[in-house]
Amino acid sequence: MTAVGLGTPRSDADAKVRGLARYGVDYREAGMLHARLLRSPVAAGRITRLDVTKARSYPGVHAVVTADESPKHRNGLILFDTPFFAADTVLYEGEPIAMVVADTPNQARRAVEAIALEIEDWEPVSDVTEALAPGARLLHPDLDSYEILPGAATWPKHGNCGGVLTSDPGGVDEAFQTADVIVEDTLEVPRQYQAYLEPKSATASYDGWRWTIHVSHQFPFQVRSRVAQAMGVTDSRIRVVGHHMGGGFGARLDLGLEQFAAIGASVTGRTVQLVNDRDEDLISTMSRENATIRVRSGVTTDGRIVAREFECLMDGGAYAGDTVYLTSIPMFMVASVYRVGPTRVTAKSVYTNTAPSGAFRGVSGTYICFALERHTDRLAQAIGMDRREFRMRNLFESGDAMLNGQTLDDAYILREAFERVEEVAPWQGVGKGPLKGVGLAAVIWLTNPLAGSATLSIQQDGSLGVSTAATENGSGAVTMGVRQIAAAQFGLDAEQVFVTAPDTDTQGYDAGSQGSRTTHVVGMAVEAAAEQLKPRIFNIASGLLGALPDDLELSGGSVCVRDDPSRSVPLATVARTAFGLGGPLSATGTYNVPLPKWDPDSAEGLLFPVFPVPTYHVHLAEVEVDPDDGSVRVNRYVVAQEVGRMINPDGVYGQIQGGVAQGMGYALWEGLETRDGLYTRRTLESYGLPLAVDVPDVEIIILEHPCEAGPFGAKGAAEPPIVPVAAVIANAVSDATGANITTLPIDPEEVLEALDERREA
Amino acid sequence: MTQELSLEVNGIPARVEVDADEVLLDTLRDRLHLTGTKRGCDEGECGACTVIIGRTPVHSCIFPSLAAAGAQVRTVEGLAGGGGELSDLQRAFVDTAAVQCGFCTPGFLMTLTALLESEASPSDHEVDEAMAGNICRCTGYSAIRAAVRSVVGEGGA
Amino acid sequence: MQFLAPRTLDEALGMLSGRGGDLRVLAGGTDVMIQRMTGQLPRSESLLYIGGITDLAGVSRSDGTIRIGALTTHRDLCCDPVITTHLPSFAEAAATVGGWQTQAVGTIGGNLCNASPAADLAPPVLAAGAVMVVSGVDGPTRIPAERFFVDRRLTSLPEGQILLGIEVPEPPANTWESYLKVGRRGAMEVAQVGLAARFSVVDNRVETARLAVCSVAPAPLRLHRGEEALAGSTLDSGTVSAAARRATEEISPIDDQRASASYRRMMVGRLIMKAARLARRSLGMG
Repeated sequence: MTAVGLGTPRSDADAKVRGLARYGVDYREAGMLHARLLRSPVAAGRITRLDVTKARSYPGVHAVVTADESPKHRNGLILFDTPFFAADTVLYEGEPIAMVVADTPNQARRAVEAIALEIEDWEPVSDVTEALAPGARLLHPDLDSYEILPGAATWPKHGNCGGVLTSDPGGVDEAFQTADVIVEDTLEVPRQYQAYLEPKSATASYDGWRWTIHVSHQFPFQVRSRVAQAMGVTDSRIRVVGHHMGGGFGARLDLGLEQFAAIGASVTGRTVQLVNDRDEDLISTMSRENATIRVRSGVTTDGRIVAREFECLMDGGAYAGDTVYLTSIPMFMVASVYRVGPTRVTAKSVYTNTAPSGAFRGVSGTYICFALERHTDRLAQAIGMDRREFRMRNLFESGDAMLNGQTLDDAYILREAFERVEEVAPWQGVGKGPLKGVGLAAVIWLTNPLAGSATLSIQQDGSLGVSTAATENGSGAVTMGVRQIAAAQFGLDAEQVFVTAPDTDTQGYDAGSQGSRTTHVVGMAVEAAAEQLKPRIFNIASGLLGALPDDLELSGGSVCVRDDPSRSVPLATVARTAFGLGGPLSATGTYNVPLPKWDPDSAEGLLFPVFPVPTYHVHLAEVEVDPDDGSVRVNRYVVAQEVGRMINPDGVYGQIQGGVAQGMGYALWEGLETRDGLYTRRTLESYGLPLAVDVPDVEIIILEHPCEAGPFGAKGAAEPPIVPVAAVIANAVSDATGANITTLPIDPEEVLEALDERREA
Repeated sequence: MTQELSLEVNGIPARVEVDADEVLLDTLRDRLHLTGTKRGCDEGECGACTVIIGRTPVHSCIFPSLAAAGAQVRTVEGLAGGGGELSDLQRAFVDTAAVQCGFCTPGFLMTLTALLESEASPSDHEVDEAMAGNICRCTGYSAIRAAVRSVVGEGGA
Repeated sequence: MQFLAPRTLDEALGMLSGRGGDLRVLAGGTDVMIQRMTGQLPRSESLLYIGGITDLAGVSRSDGTIRIGALTTHRDLCCDPVITTHLPSFAEAAATVGGWQTQAVGTIGGNLCNASPAADLAPPVLAAGAVMVVSGVDGPTRIPAERFFVDRRLTSLPEGQILLGIEVPEPPANTWESYLKVGRRGAMEVAQVGLAARFSVVDNRVETARLAVCSVAPAPLRLHRGEEALAGSTLDSGTVSAAARRATEEISPIDDQRASASYRRMMVGRLIMKAARLARRSLGMG
């Protein structure tokens, strides 16, 4: 019996249902101080007065830190455009200006209120259109002089554009000439807040040379290098210790509050904890960027897409963060899934006076898919063809290449996914009825390839310890996936394997829980470590059993002779014996995904060049609209997802159901809109997260095509379920009402107007 | 200024000094060191802070501690039996994978424990309505529904 | 600041008259505590917690009047047989206030006195022609509900007084009433628009029509012009459409983070039409 493929409960579930799992916000140390940030109340302006004298004298206050007491250089993920504290200018509402460290959170709060802050307000550059208009105020007049990440390729940037990607392979205009019909759509989406339930926090201490930072973070090694960079010290002076994490969804990949806790600790010499209130978390977190997308395609009356042009303006906010990378995402989507002919792409990351935006599960893919699949429906309608038939005619086949030149050898899976959905929800049989509609969308998504490692130690009691800096963000990738892969390698039950929390001092590098990578990459690292350990185990057992190593196997916590299982020795005995035979049974494995070939000349500014270990996804939704208020109810939701191989069905199903729920939120309720650079929805209550009453049980179809270079064949599974959801629901609402949905969240007023129009017609 | 508060938490009498406008969540987490109850929003929206007072689930993040004077308060730490065995609902949460990041879990457990104490076999719709005041960002709720179903199927909590 | 927890009404009124403006009456706390934390109410105010005055809770019915104590919780309203039988719009409104945790401690008195423009219980109270019973140290007085809601978060409750409860005349036979609320999600919503509608019918004609709304003006209000247009009608679609149009003239909705003014305007009319449709069906008016 192998541990792989079972719905084994996650190893941290017991502690979590008891309320005994300790999260970042639960971490305590004796004598710990509490910090609070003074954040900019305005979207843009010049600081004319910052007087902390009174605050310093407040009861319980140990320190007030401002730009004066902080490193002067700028930092960043790839483009170093971000100051430690705002010094002269503030560029977004919520930007940190100063920090108070006090005995209690309330004392810190009162002292923050006592800081005298005066700002000369500027008219904010509040959206991408304003930012790109001639004569717009430049957020970063010194952009050209900013440093970039050492070793990174350079990319075009200018004015209020932090990054520009362009791909113009030629022949596009000629191809448009061959079209019978040309359709152009412009779509717009707001930001989406990750809304992890545990607000961000960091707790830091300092020993005169090194900092220790306790976090609940998806990427402890990123915290280490980014805090080091912000503080202007070497990485190894920072130790990052991970704790249970109350959700991340991409928001905990870059720095959050860690650098502030760190400077608080070194200024006071005490342990300092900094925790966001929900309202400051909401306004300051790097949410999924808002964007404007223009897509134009030529189609022939017999149903072939012959040419395409795609333009995307991404609002990166006041500092670039990772949106510079995200401009590459259209390259994997705009001319994939369907064959669309010669294609031209432009994507820009644009500075505005809003909070920096950043990664959220599915990143830009969610709205690119929304734009493309809405557009696909519109193309089919323009030539009077059935929307599913149109998709099948243009569907990618194995051997087709994406715009980056990367060939997809297994794209046949797309057709299989469409067919499996058809079996469950026949296209001609769903969405019928005056207020009902059906939508369909497909996507190809990646498994993030970045490096990881794991150390395996067979314990003296015969159990197996897995030590890795990979983080358990809640998905189960570590507490189910990695743990079960490790167990299966040694013929153990998952219950006999424990996994440790991340600690950058003691574990090898891991690139964090992002892009569905953990099970795949760390699973492979586990296999690499197991390959080192198993020969040693068999050699030792060989001596104990008097059998050849090649005749041995691991099963049920023992090493036994393959053809005579009655001859066996417990793994515990082998582990203890090893102490005197080469030392403890411990080995470290590492892995990174080999990158597929791509064409470096396919685009300029392609900082994120490939989509490794692709997976294939088709979603279908049936919706019903309320004719009185225009609200949308999702009656049925079907997902066909290719995962390579399921390590834990409960884990995979949980990721799909949860991803669809987040996508429903994006489609129907969520969204951070700004007015004059300020978010209009500023609380969880007004933000509108999906509730149990809103989310149906998703019908899930798993396609398994084991990946040769994957642990037991597993590919990434957690990120993509969110990607097509808004597209599918919008297509279904359009079908139900006739409304051409081009904005999210779907506006009930637009739905009602469309229904009225249809009634009159 | 602080005032004295006497109450019972998980069956154990407690007497603490609290700020006059302190909320129960802070009293539980910072004074009684029961950090299983979580803070998610400070506005009675997310439900991570849910505790049971008497037989009623409340959002402890907006419930004044001094209004709980003399009350019997139950938190997630009090759900398991005396020998540490999980309640049926806790067990079901583990077995049906109703826990992902787990930050919302204590709140859901308290709301649903109160539900099952007042209604032995709620329908899916009643379960959904009962947990409208609890947000889970990870699971999409399906596994939580399944956890309740499995307990109800066994004939009550 | 202090937390005062009187056990009796007299004790509470005594404290209130002695302290005046720096004392905030607190019941379930689901609005007041949030407003303190977000700075909408001063943290320096002391709190007068009346939750311990148990005789202010509960529903009773006698002599053609239904009395609802100020401390009756939303949850209690949802399942009280007098309410669900005679004033179902109250139960429907209470069931939409937040989730269970809010309904279990939030009270009708708190909802009304807090006077949010979106107070869900206000439209049913207005449509029912309720009277607010308030009291200071000098004893109780009565304020018609329509004179109670003055402006955003402002009522005519005199300083130093407490809302004891409301009195609602028992509705005549053949009355249909309902609370229809529009929010984005299926629960937990602050109303984008809330409408309480009540039609009392004699011989298949509307004898009295009552329409009251929240979230479309600084304070909840009755839609008199809409009501007048419906009176005497058979709730036929022509009359209802005209009434919906007239009712829409009486509101002054704003754009905010929850809804646009134009959607709110659209919804008031549509909810009136929906109410008429439901009433016709329920009252067997053809």
